[in-house]
Amino acid sequence: MSEVAFQKTVGDSVPKINDEVAVGEDLDFQRKWWKFESVMWWIIALLLLLNFAGVFGRGPVAHAKLANDAMLVKYERVERTGTPSILEVQFKPNTLGRGQVKLHVSQSIVDGLGTQRVIPSPSDTAIGRGGLTYTFSAEQAPGSVQFALQPSRPGIFEFTLQVPGSSPLSAKVVVMP
Amino acid sequence: MEASIRAILFYVFLVLVVRIVGRRPGKQITPFEFVLVFFMGGLALTAMVGDDASLTNAFLQILTIAFVHFLIATARTKSNVLARLLDGTPLILLDNGQWRSRTLSKMRIQDDDVMAQARDQGIATLDRIEIAILERNGQISIIEGSK
Repeated sequence: MSEVAFQKTVGDSVPKINDEVAVGEDLDFQRKWWKFESVMWWIIALLLLLNFAGVFGRGPVAHAKLANDAMLVKYERVERTGTPSILEVQFKPNTLGRGQVKLHVSQSIVDGLGTQRVIPSPSDTAIGRGGLTYTFSAEQAPGSVQFALQPSRPGIFEFTLQVPGSSPLSAKVVVMP
Repeated sequence: MEASIRAILFYVFLVLVVRIVGRRPGKQITPFEFVLVFFMGGLALTAMVGDDASLTNAFLQILTIAFVHFLIATARTKSNVLARLLDGTPLILLDNGQWRSRTLSKMRIQDDDVMAQARDQGIATLDRIEIAILERNGQISIIEGSK
């Protein structure tokens, strides 16, 4: 008869109930797990509430506005990677009416926040001062420009917008993974 | 690299979520669980694939998941703690005519589920059950008493 390697004697390590049925129940562990589960359900509920509020983007809390004497900027303070959104610049009446309006945007709007399109298309684009300066043909107010954004990577990005001759507007945008 | 990390993260995340959602009794998956499986699978797929819908990405992500699964399954056989964390332990639902009501409630199981399994084994009444156990895979084992 050939020898068989790695043989092991059969042993019953599973605890028995009344010395009859081997179940292996571990109620101490299970009670801890139930506690963990309860905590996790509360955390899940909290995350969902925060999500409905827009803390993770695409909700009321995420909508933000910035304004100065030249423009009003509507944007999302929380964006999501790969998800389209709109940053809108509404020019104040005193900014328009001169045939054209210039808008300087920081490079982070293009790189970090992933500008896909500028609506309407600018009549001229100049690079420099750490960003781009767009020139739009403009008539009387109201008038606005939209930036179609689609961030390609998560992070925190600070952007700056400025109509030459007025104070710059800056804000930080968190891009969720 | 990024796709593989995403696959690993989603695998671990889904294992945790499915573990928290809990085991439901039954030999076969119910329509209730079908919804969960398809929904979670579909949503995970969208995020895992991202903008890289290439064959290479799919191939590598499947290999990543297979390898992580192999590692976890191996670690589970070596560590009792990990085995309990991943699968839980068997739980007694009924012992000598006494329901474990806390266990039933915490595991979201009704006495009808136990009786359904008992009938499946040809046991018609409750008093013939000595012990009913919710197994780690979600099945209910019934051991018939001698009376």
